[in-house]
Amino acid sequence: MNLKMPYIRIVVIGALICLLPLVLSTFYMHIAVLVLIWAFLACAWNIIGGYAGQHSLGNGLYMGIGAYTVAYLVNRFNLTPWVGLVVAIILSAAAAAFIGWIVFRYALKGAYFALVTIALTEAAVYVVSNIPALGGAGGMQMEYRGNSLAYMQFAGQNGYFYMGVVLVVFILLLTQWYKRKRFFYQLIAVRENEDAAEALGVDTVKAKIKANVMSGVLCAVGGVFYAQYFLYVGPRSVFGEVVSVQILIYAIVGGLGTTWGPVVGAVLLVPLSEITRGQLGNSFPGSQLLLYGLVMVLTMMFMPFGIMGLADRLRQRWQHRSATPLVDSQGGEAS
Amino acid sequence: MTAMLEVRGLTRRFGGLVAVNDLTFEVNEGEMIGLIGPNGSGKTTTFSMLSGALRPSSGTIAFNGERIEGLKANKVCRKGLARTFQVVQPFPDITATENVMIGAFVNTGGGRQAEAKAREELERVGLTPKADTLAKELTLLQLKRLEIAKALATEPKLLLLDEVAAGLTSTEVDVMLKLVRQLNTEGITCIIVEHVMRFVMNLSHRCIVIDFGSQIAEGTPEEVLNNPAVHAAYLGEEASIA
Repeated sequence: MNLKMPYIRIVVIGALICLLPLVLSTFYMHIAVLVLIWAFLACAWNIIGGYAGQHSLGNGLYMGIGAYTVAYLVNRFNLTPWVGLVVAIILSAAAAAFIGWIVFRYALKGAYFALVTIALTEAAVYVVSNIPALGGAGGMQMEYRGNSLAYMQFAGQNGYFYMGVVLVVFILLLTQWYKRKRFFYQLIAVRENEDAAEALGVDTVKAKIKANVMSGVLCAVGGVFYAQYFLYVGPRSVFGEVVSVQILIYAIVGGLGTTWGPVVGAVLLVPLSEITRGQLGNSFPGSQLLLYGLVMVLTMMFMPFGIMGLADRLRQRWQHRSATPLVDSQGGEAS
Repeated sequence: MTAMLEVRGLTRRFGGLVAVNDLTFEVNEGEMIGLIGPNGSGKTTTFSMLSGALRPSSGTIAFNGERIEGLKANKVCRKGLARTFQVVQPFPDITATENVMIGAFVNTGGGRQAEAKAREELERVGLTPKADTLAKELTLLQLKRLEIAKALATEPKLLLLDEVAAGLTSTEVDVMLKLVRQLNTEGITCIIVEHVMRFVMNLSHRCIVIDFGSQIAEGTPEEVLNNPAVHAAYLGEEASIA
């Protein structure tokens, strides 16, 4: 098997996607940017949730740290968002390392880990809402400074779109590259069986902390991008459980622990929810949340391994069918 | 010459229960030691303490002259002391090769080297035909071999084998016997916990018998088999008198 193939596929698809602005209207370009933002965030969550199997329900915390850091630094000190990005990376890394250290050191697992992460991201909503310097409950508006890469601001959606494509291609390449590395194998070992992983020399606590930091930092980068696109950050729009669940739902529906799963999930669900919101937002507020709930339940019932898992199974079945003679339908493979 | 493994006064209490009581023994390089005893006598608890999965309540464990009691399992493993589990512990959703690669990553950072090492170990335990099969699709014998391959991939100097023959058919026991003997001739020191007596008696240079957490006998397989205390432990007092 050609090892370069997955990389080539990512780059080629990324390049083809860049042609979209030629055919999409402004409304659909807006949705396309949203798809990219959420795809990126879902890929970031996939590291801790999908590969390491630690179902964090609070990655909004890191997205919020990213978004608020950049908004605050731009507004207060007039810095370029690129500086904000660096500070956001440092802050989110520190937060993720600290939280990971406490939580994993005391071996919080499964539902307990999920509860702690959700509590932290909710706490962040209330903390931020009560800090006037951060705009309180109303959040912060950011000033538009004109079409300039230095300010990470663009007129219209195309600039953001290309930036989003770069980010998503970057995270896919990163994931693909890491997949052959010791670190990712250790994460999978942790997910599959922690005792066995420890017995094979895997420092499970360290591996989980590293995964949390990597996931957190990338979520913060997504948060920076989100803030720059909307030029607004609010406690509930970047922190909090609704955002946190939104991040993970795309990864779960698309396929946990797969390179493309989170992207596939976002490509299918984001437009669905945006269009529902557009059509039913006034008559049925919150209808897109209802839709998420429905999709989640259906996913768990019919494709527990997400769309990528289902695709794998169908492919196997198809190969099996084409390889097996029709006459001999009984008797499995001899072992 | 100092022993490879020196265990002194090893004790583990669970509340009021003393699972392992003041266990003292040595293992020399190249030896094959059988650790036997009736069910619940503390064999697996001893293994768990040696491998770092469980902290001893008291006592010391020295491995190649270095104290290792209380170290975490991953550190112990990286010092060259690996174990297999009584209840097989595969990583179910990845292939046999990938399972073994996780062990191989102890000594290499590169994916390609780890894969080469993993395929080598699978060959060693005779699992090459199943290299690309998901672990959850393997049979018990294959899983037991996989356990050994995973442990071998970490390049252990001392290998703790916890009931690798249990649950296997007679023919399968023979296969496993040959494999473990082969490992020993290749220079790996082994401690085996086993209920399948044919397996232990055939392999061990020396046996340590424990009952209720305490050592009751030590010696060659023949000496141990003829020891009245051992008979008593396994069959009860009266049976041994009769």
